[in-house]
Amino acid sequence: METWRQLKPLEWWKYVNKEVKVTAHDKQQHHGWVFTVDPVSASIVLVTFQEKGGTSTVRVVTGHAVQEVEVLQEGNEETAGRLRVIFTPPGAQALGPEEVRRRKESLRLWLEKNRIPVEEKGETLCVANVLTVSAPYGAEDCSSSNEIILARVQSLVESNPDSTPDQPANS
Amino acid sequence: MRSHVSVLRLPRGPDPNGRGFDPNSPRFIALCPTTISASSETGTDSVQIREEQRARSALRESFLRTLIAMTNKQVQFHMHERVKVEAKFGASDIDVLNVQVSELHTPIGVQKEALLRCQDVISYSFDL
Repeated sequence: METWRQLKPLEWWKYVNKEVKVTAHDKQQHHGWVFTVDPVSASIVLVTFQEKGGTSTVRVVTGHAVQEVEVLQEGNEETAGRLRVIFTPPGAQALGPEEVRRRKESLRLWLEKNRIPVEEKGETLCVANVLTVSAPYGAEDCSSSNEIILARVQSLVESNPDSTPDQPANS
Repeated sequence: MRSHVSVLRLPRGPDPNGRGFDPNSPRFIALCPTTISASSETGTDSVQIREEQRARSALRESFLRTLIAMTNKQVQFHMHERVKVEAKFGASDIDVLNVQVSELHTPIGVQKEALLRCQDVISYSFDL
């Protein structure tokens, strides 16, 4: 449809988590579950699941090439969950509040043991007033305007003997 | 590994007067829609504008995750005239107008690095 690109975001949103058949410029038809539609280029991201836990295929049809979109099937909680899981980067795990608190305590003790002044300000640790560490208190969660201090504290965070390395999820 | 073909043509560099993502630049006007679809301010209440913006950010975030998942993977690009090429995805620009790839397998050889124009691409696919 020429009007695919002119649809509003709320109208595109209606296609998410539905199985559709997209006809492109070259008359090719593509089936798949809509994961998202890019609001900038109107490109449709389709996912085809493989049975029995094989690798899924992702196909992106560029917005300018979309001719027609036909809804075949409505999705449900299960398909929405499967779509979400596919795109979660490996190593990202949802940490419970207890685990987050434990990590904060562990990091705070480690910094104090190394004679680094650290203050707890709500959910963040404030280090020497120039660096903050937010949840989940890993090396990537440090932020500071001073790169030398940042580098030093990051290597310290990584060398914390108490920290368990993140298990990468199977992708 | 097949040996690489020599560079045939370098992409045109940035406009010396341009400022990159300038919405008034000739490149943007020629290639991008001049307005992103959005409801106009008048005639729609702020709740709907908020809902629309929420939908837009959620859609864009999911799309960016797709691009992240695609980095350094082998991607098949389907272009016009049923041309199909395969390459390793590197990056795309903010409007997804161009895509940087490595090891582009073309009928005339393997290009080490290449820039694909998204207007030439009908669809692209990869396995997760």
